[in-house]
Amino acid sequence: MTLLRYTISRFVQAIPVLIGISFITFVMVNALPGDPVAIMLEGQEVDRETIEAVERRYGLDRPFHERFVTYMLGLVQGDLGYSFHRDMPVSQLMWIRLGPTLMLVFSAFVFALVTAVPLGVLAAKRRNEPTDHVSRLVALVGVSTPSFWIGIMLILIFAVWLGWLPSGRLVYPWRDPAHYGFDGRLELYYQTIRHLLLPMVALGTLQMATIMRIERSSMVESLQEDYVQLARAYGVPERTILRKHAFRAAQLPIITIVGLNLSTALGGAVLIETVFEINGMGRLLIQSIQQLDYQVVMGVTIVLATIFVIGVIITDISYAYVDPRVSYGDRE
Amino acid sequence: MATTEGQLDGKDGGGEPQIGWRHTFQQVKGDPTARFGLYVIAIATSIAVFSAVDANLSRATMGVYPDYTIGEWLPVLENPERMPPPTEMEPYQPPVFAEGGSWANPLGTDQAGRDYLSRIIYGARVSMAVGFFATFLGLTGGVLIGAVAGYYGGRIDDVLMRFVEIIYSIPALVLVIVFTVFVSGGNPDVIYAVLGVGIATIPVFSRIIRSRVLSVREMDYIEAARAAGVKDRNIIRRHVIPNSFAPVLVYATLQIGFAILIVAGLSFLGYGAQPPTPDWGQMLNHAHGQMHVNPWMSIWPGVAILITIMGFNLFGDGLQDALDPRIDN
Repeated sequence: MTLLRYTISRFVQAIPVLIGISFITFVMVNALPGDPVAIMLEGQEVDRETIEAVERRYGLDRPFHERFVTYMLGLVQGDLGYSFHRDMPVSQLMWIRLGPTLMLVFSAFVFALVTAVPLGVLAAKRRNEPTDHVSRLVALVGVSTPSFWIGIMLILIFAVWLGWLPSGRLVYPWRDPAHYGFDGRLELYYQTIRHLLLPMVALGTLQMATIMRIERSSMVESLQEDYVQLARAYGVPERTILRKHAFRAAQLPIITIVGLNLSTALGGAVLIETVFEINGMGRLLIQSIQQLDYQVVMGVTIVLATIFVIGVIITDISYAYVDPRVSYGDRE
Repeated sequence: MATTEGQLDGKDGGGEPQIGWRHTFQQVKGDPTARFGLYVIAIATSIAVFSAVDANLSRATMGVYPDYTIGEWLPVLENPERMPPPTEMEPYQPPVFAEGGSWANPLGTDQAGRDYLSRIIYGARVSMAVGFFATFLGLTGGVLIGAVAGYYGGRIDDVLMRFVEIIYSIPALVLVIVFTVFVSGGNPDVIYAVLGVGIATIPVFSRIIRSRVLSVREMDYIEAARAAGVKDRNIIRRHVIPNSFAPVLVYATLQIGFAILIVAGLSFLGYGAQPPTPDWGQMLNHAHGQMHVNPWMSIWPGVAILITIMGFNLFGDGLQDALDPRIDN
């Protein structure tokens, strides 16, 4: 099978999963007892007829399976429903909120990779030396600490006490600088980075710790491989061995772990966006849950899960691309 | 047929590979970090279990009554007329090392004047209970699904693993939040959190056990049992699951830490344990709003979560090393 056919088949395989995700989300959200319209109109003087009219408008008077089919048909056409509270289509809302979340998650992974890979290699190279112990301790603390608490601590230290960095909100590089009252592009980018720094570290620490652990053990294994031993026997300098021979092969597990960790990162983004008051998908989810704006809750859940599914497919494909040994057939 | 079955699952194990539990235990005992993890787990568990009958519950949950121990409380409870008037406690007392702090409340008091240290100690109960029960739930569900899928293969395998993949694709925290809020009918509580986290952890367990079962089912003793006419159900229960269990156990230890982490996040958002139950995530929720006024409130619940989860991670890592034949200690 060629890489292209493999790519296509991976996407085709994802279709039932996406349908399943939509179904489970639909079932969970519709498990809510009580009438969403009544909740929405709570406190307002409305007669029975108005409620029925609203119900008809949103199709709530029809049975469960019919509503699901309608919802799925809409989903296929990119229609995620309508937000009661914000009075706009969910898909439109999603476009506004997707950017901040993707920027946050992406930067967290960049931070994690940039710090974890060198540290993991160093720890593997100096195995059982102080450097190794320190980096393992950092990794251990990293996987054991709730990201939102790291966020709170970072705000306390760098925003409240030291006053170096802003304590929340993001500045978006795709906006017009005049919107924020900045002089030009350069200041906009500078402010973007300043605002992104703390949430990025808060969300990225868990990823950094996980990647560092994998990188270390993978490098340790890689350094014991026969071809590395052989290179050593030939007198190839240790630095070259590390860079050219051991390193490349050791990066394969990292690709996989980045894909799988996308799930924890997206979940973590919900918390980090709440702590830092970032108006992304996660904060939207929490706000919509509070308002019981259930179409938005469904939309966010499905979109986040879809991002994860696509992320895993991309990592699978890049894995197959990087590692020539991978066969595209049945992978057990 | 009953006799054949009885013989096959007899004590001699029918030549099944034995997991060296004693050996594992020795290894873990010799590993100082794993031992440290075990101590942390033991302390947190005993706090969680025994604080139920220990002192200062009133200080932790109500804060308006004097800090009687349970021995002093009982006579009071039996004679309501002897109930003392509530003593007003000062909210937002600073901790002892800060200006204005006192040893009466070493870590200060919270918004209702409740002793912060007592609340942190009591917070272990919710976290540990959720960690254990949710993991147990996920483990049971995951092992069942994984074992059945791996053993039968084919269609059943496809369907079950697809289901697992679907659950796995929804970010765990998002799944747990939506489940907790909507399935509870808008009244989230710990019990829904346990259920939600349990469901969210099914995929990990079922995948691990499935991959083990795939190799175990090819073993001669399974073949022999099948030839002897042992029912599939019994083969899975008596032979397949026990022989695929070791990696699951390691993962369960690590997973308890993960469950505590998820529930802390859930409570932080306000959908976990509800007031007045003391809970670390919920305490951080309030502390977040107090960051500029009472910054110290944010520190301790986080430290408590960190230490507890670290205990499970250390122990789990030690267990993994001990059970992994490739690592020679």
